[in-house]
Amino acid sequence: MMRRRIRNSLSNSMVAIIAMVIGFIIIFPILFGILGAFKSSAEFSAYPPTLIPKSFTYLENFKEAIAKMPILRYMFNSLVVAGLGTVVRLAFAILAAFVFVFYDFKGKNFFFFLILGTMMLPADTLIVTNYLTVSRLGLIDTHLGMAITSFVGATQMFMLRQNFKTQPKEFREAAAMDGCGDLRFLTSILLPIARPVVMTLFVQSFVTLWNAYLWPLLVTNKNNMRTVQVGITFLTTIEDTNYHLVLAGVTLILIPSFILFVILRRNIVKGMTAGALVG
Amino acid sequence: MRIAAPAISVKGRRGTTGYRKVLRVIKPYLYLLPIITFGIAFVYYPFFKTFLYSFSIVNFKGQITGFAGLDNFIYMFGYKNFSTALKNSLILTAMTVSSTVIITLGTALLANKKRKLSGIYETMFTMPMAVSMSAISMIFKVMLNPTVGYVNYFLGINLGWFEDKKTAIYGILMLCVWMGLGFDYLLFLSALRGIPDELIEASTLDGAGFFKKLFRIQFPLITPTLLYVVCTDMVLAMMTAGPVMIITQGGPAQSTTTLIYLMYTAGYRSSNYSLASCISIITFALTFGLTLLAFIFERRGVHYA
Repeated sequence: MMRRRIRNSLSNSMVAIIAMVIGFIIIFPILFGILGAFKSSAEFSAYPPTLIPKSFTYLENFKEAIAKMPILRYMFNSLVVAGLGTVVRLAFAILAAFVFVFYDFKGKNFFFFLILGTMMLPADTLIVTNYLTVSRLGLIDTHLGMAITSFVGATQMFMLRQNFKTQPKEFREAAAMDGCGDLRFLTSILLPIARPVVMTLFVQSFVTLWNAYLWPLLVTNKNNMRTVQVGITFLTTIEDTNYHLVLAGVTLILIPSFILFVILRRNIVKGMTAGALVG
Repeated sequence: MRIAAPAISVKGRRGTTGYRKVLRVIKPYLYLLPIITFGIAFVYYPFFKTFLYSFSIVNFKGQITGFAGLDNFIYMFGYKNFSTALKNSLILTAMTVSSTVIITLGTALLANKKRKLSGIYETMFTMPMAVSMSAISMIFKVMLNPTVGYVNYFLGINLGWFEDKKTAIYGILMLCVWMGLGFDYLLFLSALRGIPDELIEASTLDGAGFFKKLFRIQFPLITPTLLYVVCTDMVLAMMTAGPVMIITQGGPAQSTTTLIYLMYTAGYRSSNYSLASCISIITFALTFGLTLLAFIFERRGVHYA
């Protein structure tokens, strides 16, 4: 009995160690990026290469990266684009979900599947024609142009509908009796009840849009309209491969992502796994 | 699951004037108007336009000047870069999906049982989710650099990675796999933890070993999640373009050109909209076909508890 327990705890520790090693391999690229940001140019090209920088107080790379690219402007652009896209997407999705739960009307199923059908068409295959549309609308180099293709959120609509369906119907009836209009019912009764799911969808949507690359790249030409994700890729050119600066820039943009991830990890995880169940 | 929810109609108790009646009828459509408008404008319209473009002669402004029949497709299949891109995309998809599934199943199994340190390694397994595609692409670009990168030195190898046409695609592959690690791991973990304890305990009492439990109980019960992961990863991998744009620009010698990247260069850089549309349609059809295939397998092998 005793021996068995010892064997069990030994094998448990072994598994834990293996897991730690694998975990370390997984986060190695992140570590490499952050550690590299503290190395001087000379330290970076030295052979054999080192992993740990000589000092963590060497901040020249960050200063130079900030001087070379308007990172605050990039962050502002990303914030506006992700914020606008998320707010509008959720507003549209909430309205649609509300209608599908609390109204009966002709063509309800048709419209429902029309919206869900947008999930079948991957956005990346549509970028060329969407680019033509957006440029014809004169929205190149605008925040609206970058956000406009993300206004339709079929997944969000579906999840909100699932949530609204579980709310007691008496609320709506009672509210209607008291002469409470649709919008007031939505904003002062339904949304406060559904707050957890709305928050989750908000966070998940925001993170996705914050990380978007391809579309914001296509519709921006001016440097001061770039988002962070697009901006950092312009730190290096073929003639000028200043890798230490690149890693400093990457580390800088990782900071907000990590803060978001740590604070909102539960929400993100919940939103993603819940979104998966829709599939 | 019921599609039509019991709806309550807001019977006009006070005013029954014509205006109110009309309003009551059109109200639901009014609420749906925004999402439908944008859905049509930025999803359905571009899709049908892409479809139309692929059968038409299109000028550099995006105007249709004539009917081309199947000429665009014939041109595309004869285009050397297209066959390379198709091959690259299919190889990349097959390898990304299989590697990601195997690795994340492994990490999920490792983390399934709570142990000492499990808080630390569980966080490490999910970390890739916190990093954006462009940030990690830049890091991989530096990390796999043959002169300043660390990977070659650490592994004692001398590969050119993104600078060699033989290895560049594997660099992209590693990156694609890495990006999927966090999310897929979480999905598998929640599926594994969803298996009732009694099943595992009963099989242990029956003397089932680790592998017997794994293949007879755990795998069959998580097949729905497996199907979901395979489908979404397949679609994502077929859409690979960002890392290629950031790191290799399709090179060296077209060895990392993917379908979406080729579509981007054809449509955006050369304004060859009919070619871009053909590539888009083919990519869409392939993605759709692969998903369908996964669902055919689902009928055979997926168990729903």
